[in-house]
This record gives sequence, C-alpha cells and structure tokens, in this order.
Amino acid sequence: MSQVAVSLASRLGELVGSGRVLADSASLAAYEVDGRRPSAALLPGSVTEVAEILRFASAERLAVVSVGGKTHLHIGMPPHRYDLALDLSGMNRVLAYEPRDLTLGVEAGITYADLDRLLLEKGQFLPLAPPFPERATLGGIVAAGADTPFRYAHGTARDFLLGVEFVTGEGVASKSGSRVVKNVTGYDLHKFLIGSLGTLAVITRLNFRTFPLLPAQRMFVATFADQSGAFALCRALMKSPLQPRILDMLDPGTAGLFAGRGAGFLRGDSWSVVVEAAGHEAVLERHERDLAAMSREAHTAEFMALEDAQRQQLFDCLCEFSPIAFGATSTATIFRIAALPSSMPTLLTEARKLAERHALDCAILIRALSVVYLAILPPAGPTMFPELISCSRELMTQCMASQAAPMIERCPLQIKQAVGIWPPAGSEHEIAQRLKAVFDPQCILSPGRFRGGI
Amino acid sequence: MQRTLIHELEKIVGRSGVLSSAEDLLLYEYDGSVEEARPDVIVFPRGKQDVLEIVRLANRYDVSIVGRGAGTGLSGGALARQGGIVVAFSRMNHILEIDAENQRAVVEPGVVNLDLSRATEKHGLYFAPDPSSQKSCTIGGNVSENSGGPHTLAYGVTSNHVTGLKLVLPDGEVLQLGGRTMETPGYDLTGLMIGSEGTFALVTEITVRLLRLPEDVRTLLAIYDSLEDATDSVVDITARGIIPAACEMLDGWTLRAVEAYVHAGFPLDSAAVLLMEVEGVREAVEAQAAEITEVCGRHHAREVRRARDSRERALLWKGRKEAFGAVGRVSPSYYVLDGVIPRTKLTPTLVRIEEISKHYGLVIGNIFHAGDGNLHPLILFDHRDPKQFQGARDAGAEIMQLCVDMGGTLTGEHGVGMEKNELMPLMFNEADLDLMRKVRAAFNPIGRLNPGKVLPLGKGCGETRLQPFPQSAGAT
Repeated sequence: MSQVAVSLASRLGELVGSGRVLADSASLAAYEVDGRRPSAALLPGSVTEVAEILRFASAERLAVVSVGGKTHLHIGMPPHRYDLALDLSGMNRVLAYEPRDLTLGVEAGITYADLDRLLLEKGQFLPLAPPFPERATLGGIVAAGADTPFRYAHGTARDFLLGVEFVTGEGVASKSGSRVVKNVTGYDLHKFLIGSLGTLAVITRLNFRTFPLLPAQRMFVATFADQSGAFALCRALMKSPLQPRILDMLDPGTAGLFAGRGAGFLRGDSWSVVVEAAGHEAVLERHERDLAAMSREAHTAEFMALEDAQRQQLFDCLCEFSPIAFGATSTATIFRIAALPSSMPTLLTEARKLAERHALDCAILIRALSVVYLAILPPAGPTMFPELISCSRELMTQCMASQAAPMIERCPLQIKQAVGIWPPAGSEHEIAQRLKAVFDPQCILSPGRFRGGI
Repeated sequence: MQRTLIHELEKIVGRSGVLSSAEDLLLYEYDGSVEEARPDVIVFPRGKQDVLEIVRLANRYDVSIVGRGAGTGLSGGALARQGGIVVAFSRMNHILEIDAENQRAVVEPGVVNLDLSRATEKHGLYFAPDPSSQKSCTIGGNVSENSGGPHTLAYGVTSNHVTGLKLVLPDGEVLQLGGRTMETPGYDLTGLMIGSEGTFALVTEITVRLLRLPEDVRTLLAIYDSLEDATDSVVDITARGIIPAACEMLDGWTLRAVEAYVHAGFPLDSAAVLLMEVEGVREAVEAQAAEITEVCGRHHAREVRRARDSRERALLWKGRKEAFGAVGRVSPSYYVLDGVIPRTKLTPTLVRIEEISKHYGLVIGNIFHAGDGNLHPLILFDHRDPKQFQGARDAGAEIMQLCVDMGGTLTGEHGVGMEKNELMPLMFNEADLDLMRKVRAAFNPIGRLNPGKVLPLGKGCGETRLQPFPQSAGAT
C-alpha cells in the first residue's frame, strides 16, 4: 500500500472502524469495476456510517461506487473515477415484515435468497427472481433496474417498491414513499432511484409490497419451427382472457444454451414460448387446455407441460439468461431492448441478419413481450472485436430507427469504450443533469456510469 | 390581471378560449375539495403549441400558471392559490391513437378517464385507474395526482399505467419522457413526473397502457352487524392470498345515507358492508368468490350477496361511487379526508375516529378502500357555523396524525395539494422536504408553476404562507 493509501485507510477507519475498511489488493480485486480498482472498500453497519462516509467523500471529492452482492456491477459505463467501494452487504437486516399487511421493510444489503426463505415461511414472495439469488442484494437489484421472469404478471420493482431510505451524495439521509401499499404523499423519488445505478444516492432501506404464493404453478413450453409461429401464439395469448405470470420467448440459440444448462428438454433448433400459470388446479387446467389449443392453431411442433424438476431447471435459466450467455463466451455482448410487441418480429429478423452478416452467433430471449435480450456471442478473445464493435453500433442504430429503446447490459470493456452502452442522450438530458446535481452535487457517486456521461 | 395579457391570450386561443369576467372566475375558484382560490384568468388551449405559447406569455408577464383538468381533485391541486393563469385542458380532449395490438393509447390530457375505457372497449381493452370521479375527471389530472380508485388494489395507480409523457416545462422547454415501450434507458423521469401535482410541468400528451378486459367478474356484498368483523374479514382475505380487484367498505352511517339516495340495496340495519370484486379467468374467479364467501361467513357476516347480473353490479358500484354525493344531501358541508393505514390497523383506527367524532360533536362517516387501507372519513359540518368549521379542520388534522401514527401516510390518492402541504412535516423531516424542494426547483426553479402546493410554504420560491381552511362542501 502506498503512503497515500495508508493515510486514507486510517482516516476511513475512524469513520467505520478499522476492521471494516479493506485496503489490501487481494480484497480490493473483488471490487473491480471494468478493470478499475478502488483505493479502499468500506463496510458500513448503519445509515449513520453511510452518511458519514459520503460526507467525507464529498468533502474530499472521492468517487464512490456502492456495492451489494457484486452481481450487477457489469451494468454501466466504466466509472470516470473510483476511489471507494461502499459495500452494503453487512446492512442486511429485515426491519419490518407484516405478512398480514403484505408489506416488508429491509436493509439494502439483504440477499434475495435470504429474504425469499423468510417470505416462503409465510407463503409469500417478492417477484424479483434475480440471477445469483444467494449473492444479489435487494439494494443492488433495485439500483440496477434488474428485470424479472415474473414481469408479465407483476411488472418490475417500479410496480411494488413502496418507498426507500437513502443517503445523497452530500451525505444527507432522506426518504421517499412510505411503508403502506398505497401512497401519493410527496414526490416519488424512490421510483427515480430505480435503475439509477447508484449515481444519485445510496439506498439503505427498501419497503416492498409482498405477494401471496398461489396454491400451485405449471409451466408450459410450445416449440415452433420459426419465429412467426411463436409470435402467433403470443399474439393469441395477449388477446385471450388467460392471465399467466410468465411469458418468455426463446430463439433457437437461447434454447440451445439453456439445454446445455439442464433444460435438456428444450430443442436447440426451435423457437420456444414459455408460459407459466399459477392458481388452483382448475385454473391450471384451463391454461393448459387453452394454451394447447392456441399452440396448435399456431402450428406448434410440440406442446409440453413440464414436470416440477424441469420447471425448476427452466425457471433458473430464465432468471440467469445474462450469466448463461456470458458463461458461453466471455466476450458476450448483451443488449436489453425495450420494444413493442408489433415491432418485435421485424426487429428480431433484422438483428439476426445483422449478426449473420458479421459472422456472429446470437441468442435471444424476449421477456413478457416487453423487452428483447439479445446476446451477440463471438468466440472468446479479441479476434472478433472489430466485427463485434461494428455489429453493436449497427444494432444500436437499427433499434432506435425502429422506435425501440436499446442499451447494452453486458459487454467487454473494449465494446463499452468503442460503442458506449447507452443510446445518445435525448431531450431530457439537461433535466437529468440538473437532478443529478440535486442528489449528488460533487458528482462523487459512480461518476460517468450513467446515460449521457452522468 | 392586465388587459394586455388577456388580449394576448385571446390572440393565442381565440376570444372564446379565455374567461376573465368575475362570474366566470368564481366558477374556477373551486375544485372537489374544501379549498378556494380565485384565478385571474382561465385559458383553454387547443393543442401543444397553444400550451407552449401560453407558458411563454406567462414568463413575459411574470405570472403563475396552474394546470386544470375537470376540477374534480380533492386537495386543491388545480386551484390558483396565488392567482395567475389557469390553463384548463378541457378542449385538449382527443384520443390521438388507440394501438390495440400493443395495448397502448395516446391521449391529450383533457380526455375524460371513462371515455378512454369506453373507446377501447370494442378492442376488449380498458384503462385500469378508476377514480370515483372517472365519469368526469381527466387523464391529465390522473397523471398529476397519480390517481387511484377502487380497482387499484389489484392493478395499481396511474403511474403503473403510463409509459410516456410529452410536456412543457415552466421555462417553455418541451420534453418527451419515456415513450410507448415499457421502459427507456436512463432515469425514470416519467415515474418522477407522475404524481408531481402539476408542480413540475404541464403535460400535453400521455401514452398509457391498456389492460385486457377480464373474462369474468363477480361482485359480492358482505353484510355485517359489527364493523370489527368486517375489517377482520378484509385482513383475512388478503392474508389467504386473495387479492380482490376491489375491496370497499361503508360503515353503517354512510351506507344508510347512500341507500336513501341510490337505493343500491344496502341493508339499513347493518353496521358495515364490504363491496368486493374478483375478476379474471373464470375458474379463478369462481374459486376466489367461494373462498371470500367462506372467510366472510367465518367472521360472522350476516349475509354475502352476489350480484346476479351486470345491472345489479352497476347498482352496487353506483352506491359506492356516488356515496359522496349522497352525503351532500344530508349535510350542508362535508370534508373528505384521505389517509392510508396498514390494513391490519383498520379496527383500532376506526375506533379512534369514532372517539374523535364524539369529541368534536361532528358526524364522521367512513367509506374507504379497505383492501389497501385507504380511508376516506367524511366529516359533516355546517360551514356557516365557525365553531363547526374549526372543529372539522381540527378533527381532520387529528385523523391525519392518527394515520401517520399507525404507520400510514397522509394521502393515498387525493394528493397533498394545498390541503395538506402544511401537514407534510408529519411524515417528512426538513432534510426530506428540502430535497423535494430542490427536485421541484430542477423543473420549476422560480415556482411559476402551481405555487403553494405539495410542500410547506414559507421557504423558497417566494411563496407566501396562506391559511388552508375548509370552507364549503363539494366533492365528487
């Protein structure tokens, strides 16, 4: 450690206790973001400590990246500066749980798996289902704007986050929202923090509405020779009275990846539509009956109702599309593209043609007919970077031309540097900058990671 | 108001698009709340360009601007607290597009809430937020207030159903937030804007998502001899994993007032009724209706009726949605409160409200969204009696304090407006409020837009402290 680092660690130790300051290179390696390593990592145990750290950082102009389970740190541009990692994983208590009110308040560092186990005891759940649930923290999931396979029925965190407590870049503890299921008191700052990648504030507490587990669930898969059949089933489903809780579509590439991860019943040469219903047996039977009929109408190759074990395997894959694609090749470049159902068939056709032109494989998952996850999968190593860069640029342009809203959720650093992960800032950029200045006037929170260089 | 400003407004929207006579202004000093504030001029833009020009003009003349939909709001949000220009959106009432395939609609802010659902019904779609005033309230107003309604227990409030906004900032900047897709990269400015009560921007176009009409609906009326049994039923129903599409409660006093007016079939001798609705896939609805009936029976419901057809269903809902009007028949004035508590605290809260009622010698009726703990106590008073005036106001403040003490909030759906801005410190400390002030200033730096709302006065933006006071009846 340099003299400067020793001095910094000592001053930080006064804030949180020396045992909760990490400054050795082995420990700090775990906090790297896009190859950048902080000078120290701090593990605060209370909101007061978080506030003191941020006041110190603000006064010293030290850049801070807040960290939970480190499962979503790949999202965002490389930070312009990175001095301190603020690790919230030690702040992991359940602060309030009222099962009969269906409300919950937790510290930001609690993991999804720990929380899920607690809720399960009361027959409830939180429909977030992130990848790596044993590590992913609630604060991180929300700050990353993570998606969920339950999106079709339950939406995203925006739809069931009731309130948050947070500390601004100036070290001021504040809050927004409430702890009850309905509230319009004051401005919805908590919605604004969702997906903000820690660039506005450090979330310390989250209040959620919880959901009752239904008596049973059943997952169905219908396979098709081409995407038109798969979309035909989705369109029919949208027009039907059925109310599934999962509706995802997989292209052959993704089906192949999932097949290699335990969901061997999927066919790597087919498009698959995955639907899950939940409720009483009569409800499940109705979904099975109607879905089978709709699938036949759409010329399905096969319609399956999955066994419990198969269901679990496929559900895990749906949660972990991004890490699975990244596991296939470390140079995977994964786009998250919000689009309208009507524009998706053309978008997919064009995107697949584009990848083919660049001799790149791709894998696609369409979530809840709302978001297309498109992973471009070059062979590992830098050989294909020029093609990957060119393909990514063209895809970004193509998406915007078709009124879709793209961003790159995961990619190699070289792609971030060459292409950027965000679309160009729009007319809202100036107001976004003004709001950033309100929350973080010294620009110490994850500087440069957000859209428009914020 | 300067004649030249009025003349210039007329040049933008035509002479018929501007009201400035004393008798016209009088009509716009009210909304659905008990507040009053008289504007200097009312202007009716016909489109985005008109709105932009009005905002530019307001800047030139340095006057404040307040957006207004149908004026059904219940917290004074659409009142010109410091005078100035009221921009009334009733002529911007066009449904610009219905995209049935993608379940979206693009509307102007003056479109009436129910009109959108009627227009999309032929596609099997509807707009889920359903405030009691949905026959007249506008979607622009819903966006400003982040409105709810009985069915938001299952489907959420307005922010869950809006994907994009076009707006004009008070400095004349035009912005597009969000779009038609369910998300857009970057900060969720759409989510921040919704519910900002017209203090950030004037919204000129709204993109909403539409839901598929349910296949089946069952409407149940559970009748109780004890209020406590009714509230216990609510807690038990949700604890069993049933989320009804709606779960409304009327106490004995209120249901008798309603029955005398609407003849919905509410039993006059009961202590409370629960009006519940389950909807969705036929098989799920049947199972849930049976389970609800069983739970209510276990909690000593005297009877659980099922609406036999759409006419009976409509009548029961008429009883709920026109309840405020029914109360208006039996009292010279009433004050509609809006607070939220955890639903497990319903019984002690209602007991305490009854004590407050006795203490002030004022009748307080209770009608509320029981499923989400959103209370609407109705305080009856005679506005000609200063003592009753003060009593209504004090009782209201006590009930709001009670909601917060129970772990709840100051408003579940009516907004803060100018009714509760001075109560905000009950929930938020000075640091919280200061941050909200700064956020507002990022959009509305000199407070030109809707001054005197949401946040306590007396600090910043040159706002003057006015005294909010219940003065007269009126609610939808």
